[in-house]
Order: sequence, then structure tokens, then C-alpha cells
Amino acid sequence: MAFPMAAPAALAAARLARAALADLWQALAASHRMAAPVACDGVFRFQETADLAAVRLDYNTTILPAKKFFYPPVETIFRFHRHRGALAPDEEACEARRPLALFGLHGCDVRALELLDQVYTGEFSDPAYARARAETFIVALSCLEPGPSCFCTSFRSGPFPESGFDLLLTDLGGHYLVEAGSARGAGLLQQLGAEPADSEDQLLKTHRLREAVARFRRHIPTEGLPRLLNQAFQHPVWQALKDQCLSCGTCTVVCPTCYCFNVWDKVNLDLETGERKMAWDSCQLLDFGQVALGQNFRRDRAARIKQRIYHKLNYFREQYGKFGCVGCGRCVEACVKHIDPVTIVAALKGV
Amino acid sequence: MRILLQPELVEITEVRQETRDTFTMRFRFPSPSLAAAFGFQPGQFNMLTVFGVGEAPISLSSCPRQQEYFEHTIRTVGNVTRAISRLQPGGRLGLRGPYGRGWPMEEIKGHDILVVAGGIGLAPLRGAIGCILAEPENYGRLEILYGARSPEDQIFTYEYAGWRAHPRVALRLSVDRAPGIHPGAGEDAAARTGAAAAGTDPPDAGRRFDRVGPVTTLFPDVELEPANTAVLMCGPEVMMRFAVAQLLERGFRAEQIYVSLERRMECGLGKCGHCLIGPVYVCKDGPVFSYAEIRDLPEEVF
Repeated sequence: MAFPMAAPAALAAARLARAALADLWQALAASHRMAAPVACDGVFRFQETADLAAVRLDYNTTILPAKKFFYPPVETIFRFHRHRGALAPDEEACEARRPLALFGLHGCDVRALELLDQVYTGEFSDPAYARARAETFIVALSCLEPGPSCFCTSFRSGPFPESGFDLLLTDLGGHYLVEAGSARGAGLLQQLGAEPADSEDQLLKTHRLREAVARFRRHIPTEGLPRLLNQAFQHPVWQALKDQCLSCGTCTVVCPTCYCFNVWDKVNLDLETGERKMAWDSCQLLDFGQVALGQNFRRDRAARIKQRIYHKLNYFREQYGKFGCVGCGRCVEACVKHIDPVTIVAALKGV
Repeated sequence: MRILLQPELVEITEVRQETRDTFTMRFRFPSPSLAAAFGFQPGQFNMLTVFGVGEAPISLSSCPRQQEYFEHTIRTVGNVTRAISRLQPGGRLGLRGPYGRGWPMEEIKGHDILVVAGGIGLAPLRGAIGCILAEPENYGRLEILYGARSPEDQIFTYEYAGWRAHPRVALRLSVDRAPGIHPGAGEDAAARTGAAAAGTDPPDAGRRFDRVGPVTTLFPDVELEPANTAVLMCGPEVMMRFAVAQLLERGFRAEQIYVSLERRMECGLGKCGHCLIGPVYVCKDGPVFSYAEIRDLPEEVF
């Protein structure tokens, strides 16, 4: 997929004074809708905001990942008339909206978007998704302080992202190091006229990275992981998890790489017109694998738990070449029973 | 995803009742350009829409060599199929497709073909049979084993005479139960079934049967040798489980046995995730697989 962000990393690097962050924000806001982490009821979420002062670059992981901007939780596929079929799509205002800029994305969320690209722009590419992704400007942010559930280093998706961004901000204390990961990122740096970074900035970044990595306490050892999983399909840990899991599906809602959806028709009160909708679905729900006459290909809850863990840690890699987990820890944080891929893999390894 | 999930309108031109709960619908595209562009392989499926009710994946049941129309054979089992069953010729449906990988018609050329079908599972095989009979020089002998719940549940009975008339075709029919015959009553019952069926002489001469029991009770009658035979199979998974196991015992290799799988599908494009078995999307990697391709999936199929 030839997204602009696929250009070689570090076309350019600059120093940005803390106060000059506003210049970067303004330069982007001139032509983009800005979305960034903001605080809300004591937690963080990505949302559109025009106000840099509301942006919390000291955030830890947001409740929902950034996939919601490209693949909304609920969407209207088309409107229909019962007898005339699908109606010509409305000239929706959103098509003419300014492109999005995501400001302050951590490495885990940047990698997650790259993984979603594999699903949505591979075979049967979705043009709307591809367009939205291509026109979205991503300002990534090196993550200095892992959250209590984070394990991104296991998949090298963080704490400092290496690809998938237009610009990467790294807080070096007194100033930011800004690195371009795409031609348009480099262009924006030039436009800002920022002072070029020097080798000392790079050294400092490396030092910061080392410090950040050292703070991680949780890991999934990926070496030999596929082999381990292939041999653990009947492991007793799945039966134990079956007794814990409530099949609520929260883990898949908050997962940045979960992409399954459901489709249904909503009929209006006139009983003539309506909408076909699509919405995020979850393999953890009982009816996910159910077909006509009640046959269900994944009725056993243990099978559904395995489906999620195996898809993230095994199947996705076989399908698309990379692990489907980015180590963001959202599923762990959101699970009322604290079901945790890190401890599951540890149990499978007999650690 | 929206653009990929837009159905086109198709018009129903004919409806044939197959059984109490199963019917075959013939379709054409009102749009000449769509009609010209639409082509498919036997074993592929379409997503059929009744606007306001929903969408369901349904196998194409006609022969793709017939380009004037295409057909779907549908059993009324859920909301969408029930809504489709209420439509009449002249009515319209939404359609997207065709999707998936059909029967390996090229790979099996030069081989004898053993078709094993159960119930509505004969629907996606009818097109394959049509293709084989249309160019018999490219294939060896064809044996069709078809199991239905009862003689009244057999579909495509109007095809049987034509299939049987072909010198290199054998059609063998089983039913799970038949009036007056005890299922699984042993060899005596099996011996009587032919006579009973002939004696009953149902109004539709196609509705006969050779054996009472699951489709596998027809296996001892099979004349084809495993060495040069490709198996095309579709039916309930429990049927396919036993049928595949017995074929393997008879000396067929997993690579020779092709099965068509059913799963829940919302998109047909490898996006919605419902049909995943391990890393395999049934909708786009299948629905037809060689047994070798699915035998070792961690999430056991059968």
C-alpha cells in the first residue's frame, strides 16, 4: 500500500521549542480537522478539538483506539426503499470535509492502523478507508511512560514508533525532537523553519528510548510463540478462562486491531424506507458464529476466547505477516475479569 | 466498506418449488450491462438482499454455461430466506457477488468425479454437474451420491432422468427415512428399498431411492476407484465428517476430496470476520476447500 507515510523514515529532523508546538498545531489546523487525546471524566480519549490547550500529550492509553476515525462504530452503508432497492447515496457533507490530522498517537496505535490497512486495503480494497487513511496526517508521539497494562515492546510497536507516521514528536525535556516519516511531514517541517536537529538530539532520543523500554514490566515473548500456540490448543488454561470470561465483548471493542463487523437493516416507521447499517461486532458474543437453524460454529465460550487470542497472536500473522496484537493493554484494562494476554501466554509457557 | 457492500437489483423471472421448504429462483439483471458483466464459477455464492429484512450468502445452483439467467436454490430457514420465499416472478432482490472460490473444475479435468451431496448441499453441485456433462470428453465417469431426509425432500428431481441417461453417469439416492421402511433395519430393508420405491411410483418419477440411511450407505455401491477420482462434496458438516472419514478409509487422499463449507457471513470479502476458521476466510479462500487445506486447522472443522 503506497501511503505517503510509507516514505523512508527521518527524511528530516528538527528541534522544536515547547512553545513552538503551537506553531506546528496551527500549521496543521489550517488545513486539517485536528484530533488528539483529551481528558474526559478522568480518562483519555481521542477526539476532534480545535484547542491545543485541551490536548494532553502526557496521556496514557485512550479508552477507544484511533480506528474509530476510519471505521466508525456504527455506519450507514446505504439507504433503501423496500421496492426500489438501494437509493443513490446522498451527497454527504462529510465527503467534502477537510482531512484529519491525528496529533499525539502512540506507537501502539500507529502500528494498529498499519495492521488495519492490511485488512481493509488488501484484496477487495475499501476505497473510502484507503482515501481517509491516505489523506490523514499523523503526528506520532514517543511514549515515555508505559501504562500499567502496556506491553508494546513485545511487538516492537512502541514505545517509540518506527514507521506509519508523517511526523514523530519525542519529548527531550527542554524541547521536542521532530522527525519526519514522510515527504509531506518533511515538507511541513521545512515550512515551520525549525532549527535542524543534531546528533546530540538523536543521542538523547536513544537515551530516552532506553529509559522508557526499561520501565516495561510486562512482555509476551514472541520467539517461538506461533509454535507454542499451535501446541496449546487443548491446554487447560482455556477451560480456566472459560469460567472467568463473561463473553461481554469489551476486549474486542477497545482493541485497535479488531475489525469484525455486523450488518443489519433498520426499517423506518413508514415501513417502506430504511437504512442498512454496519457496526463493530465481536467474536466473543454467542451469536457471532451462528447460522440459520441455530447451528453455531463457536458455541463454546472457551472456543471464542481462543479465537481472540489466536487471531491476535497467530492467525493474523499467518494472514498478513505481522502479529495482530500491538501491546496497547486496552483489553486488559477494560476487562472486568482482567483477562490478560500476557498472563495467558505465560500460563501456556508454564511460567 | 460502504461501496463494497452495495447490492445491485436483480429480477425474479421464475420460481420452482422443489420441496415443502425449498425452492429454486431464476434471476436476470434488468441492467443489460450488469447482465453482460456477470459470470461465475460453480460453487460460488451471492449475497442476496431483501431490503428491510437483510442479506444472506446463497450458493449459485445453475450451470454457469447458461448465460441467459442464473438460479439460486433456497431452503426457507431464516428471516431472509423466508422473505425471499414470499417473492414472485417480477419481484426484485438486491444482489452482490459472485464471491468465493468454487469447485476446481480445471484441476479435476481428466479425472473420474464422485459427487457426494446431502440435502440442500446438492444446490452448489448442480452447476458443477452441468459443466461436467456439457463437456464429458474432459472428464471421466461421474457418480452422484445424493442423500435426502425423505423422498419428499429430494431437490432437482427433474434433473435425475437427464443425468441418468448419460452413459458415463451413475446416480445413487439415499433417504434417511421412507414410509413403511425402518431406517437402519439392516440388509433386508436395504434390499427391499429399491422395490418399495419402484412400487410406490410417486407422481414425480424422479423421487426414488436406492438405500435407506445416510448418504454413506451408498458408498459400497461406488464403482469408481480412488486412484483417479476427485470427490466434490457438500452437505451438513456431520454428514461430511463421516463421509470424508469413510472415503479416507477407502483409500482416497485428503487432496482429492473437495468440500464446500457453510459459515455465517456478513460481507463475502474477507472483512467482517464471521467466517474465519483459523487464518482462513471461508468466504474468499473458500467456500470450497480440499480436505487437505482444512484438515489441520487448529480450530477443527471435521
